[in-house]
Amino acid sequence: MYFPYFIAYMTAGFIISILVFLWALKTGQFKDQQRARFLPLYGDVESEPARTSRLNRIGAYVLFGIVCSGLLASAVFVLFVLIKSSAMNG
Amino acid sequence: MEIDTGMEQEINKAAIAFSLTSALWFALATSMGMVAAGYLIAPDFMANIGWLQFGRIRPIHVNLVLFGFVTPGLLAAAFYYVPKLGRTQLFSQKLGVYNAILWNITIAIGVVTLSAGYTQGREYAELIWPVDMLIVINFALVIVNLVMTVRSRKEPILYVSIWYALAAVVLTATTYCLGNVIWKPSSGALVGIQDAILLWFYGHNIFGLLLTPLSLGVAYYVIPKVTRNPLYSHSLSLVGFWGLLVVYTHIGTHHLLQVPVPTWLKVISIVDSVAMVIPVMVFLINIWYTVKGKVGEIHADVAGKFVFAGTIFYFFVNIQGSMMALPQVQRVTHFNNWVVGHAHLGVLAFAGMTALGGMYYVLPKISGKPLYSHFLADLQYWLVLIGSGGFTVVLTIVGLIQGNAWLNGETVYRVLPAIQIYYVLRVAIGFLILSGAYIGLYNIVRTIFFNPGAKA
Ligand code: HEM
Ligand code: HEM
Repeated sequence: MYFPYFIAYMTAGFIISILVFLWALKTGQFKDQQRARFLPLYGDVESEPARTSRLNRIGAYVLFGIVCSGLLASAVFVLFVLIKSSAMNG
Repeated sequence: MEIDTGMEQEINKAAIAFSLTSALWFALATSMGMVAAGYLIAPDFMANIGWLQFGRIRPIHVNLVLFGFVTPGLLAAAFYYVPKLGRTQLFSQKLGVYNAILWNITIAIGVVTLSAGYTQGREYAELIWPVDMLIVINFALVIVNLVMTVRSRKEPILYVSIWYALAAVVLTATTYCLGNVIWKPSSGALVGIQDAILLWFYGHNIFGLLLTPLSLGVAYYVIPKVTRNPLYSHSLSLVGFWGLLVVYTHIGTHHLLQVPVPTWLKVISIVDSVAMVIPVMVFLINIWYTVKGKVGEIHADVAGKFVFAGTIFYFFVNIQGSMMALPQVQRVTHFNNWVVGHAHLGVLAFAGMTALGGMYYVLPKISGKPLYSHFLADLQYWLVLIGSGGFTVVLTIVGLIQGNAWLNGETVYRVLPAIQIYYVLRVAIGFLILSGAYIGLYNIVRTIFFNPGAKA
């Protein structure tokens, strides 16, 4: 008998999630969202942002290049699988 | 240097201890990865050393990266941002430090038992019962520390990072018990197909309910900090949070599409794997809009660029994952190196890079000392970035060769010569990550202990 554990876990998970959600509603966790956006920035005196340089921009381009080649490879792969599977299905 | 006027933070020993833990095991875990990769080139490499067999080294590598490197690294950041966002202090630094010590003891026992051949033989749940219990206790201690911190907060609203951090540790503590079948200490398993279903429910939750939420928590904190922009939308981030909880919990069976599990369960897992696009894109749109116009600034800050690169890889691993859950695609990709490529993309490139970014962001703040060397951190970034990209490319190619060969009825051994060169390449690229790990360890130790730039 394994499923009583599953059912107990699922029920407990469901009930706890609902309770936490209701708690969040009641304590106003979904209110004042404009202020919430700024919470990480609280307490920071205006400080100099890190200086960017040519090298940093090159870094960003390299990352962008990786992104594009990844996307291209994914697209080629999906195409390949679709062609292959339609060929196999006749 | 950034000056804080808000709540003065004490030296955060708990976060320091977890950072050191992560840096140390990162170095050892990649060393184990290299040994494992060596076996795949030369199967009798170290063959007569029993405790270094591939079958033992592989789970050691995997458990070390998951529980030794990535999780403690992400927790180190959480031990900093949870009190900071709640405008309070960590509940107990002492508890945090003892927790880190126990964590290291647990991991060390895990390594020793696995190398001595004690294993429960279920992927991601190999550790034997006593070690399982230690892991659960460790998570329980983290829960106590973080929940008590949140209770003493002065800021009524829980920022989304706190939601993610708490959900990750609470859910992992419970799914870990379930997935490791802790009520059956001798086997740690059920019998039959339901064991596979349970195992992969748990297995995917290690990525989906531990590494992912902890990483997103770090990104939601570090990205606004580094760009000095407020988060694009906090409501959206909460939609993403609840969406992740609902969708991610249902997708474990996509690991079992080639197995006789009930079809309705497969259908749910496939549908939800594709539906993962929603919480993922909610997060990415939110973060990328926050970064908008500040890509240069992000790349001028080593922590920022680690985390930002993590978000890019998050995009990939999820899009790739959604595709891999389609049965048509999985006919090619299952049971071969494609999945290992996906695993490194997720655990190393996404969660691992985010953990490194989180640690580099908090290190100067938790120790009160500047980072020992920005150059070394930068170097590590490039080593890990190129290493991760390289792993993905190489392993994906091997996966395609294997997948195609098997679909065409080729026997396994005839494919091996074709893929050996890629295994050699994987070791070569592995050296980059290995050096990155040791450089990171050196940099973090020097930042904390022997730091010439530190104020007296
Ligand atoms: C939209 C989200 C994701 C989906 C739909 C997804 C899908 C999949 C699928 C279908 C597999 C099984 C492949 C097979 O055996 O044929 C898999 C394996 C894996 N995934 Fe993901 N993935 C996602 C995100 C992630 C993330 C974020 C991580 C890491 C943090 C990750 C880590 C892994 C690992 C380590 C495995 C290998 C499991 C094994 O040992 O067999 N995945 N994923
Ligand atoms: C020097 C760098 C590394 C090398 C050479 C390496 C090598 C390997 C090897 C050989 C395997 C076994 C694959 C197989 O059975 O075919 C493996 C699995 C794995 N590695 Fe690594 N690894 C490295 C770094 C990392 C890092 C840093 C992480 C995560 C942060 C990681 C995460 C994983 C995971 C999750 C698996 C399980 C994959 C699966 O079951 O599908 N590895 N690695």
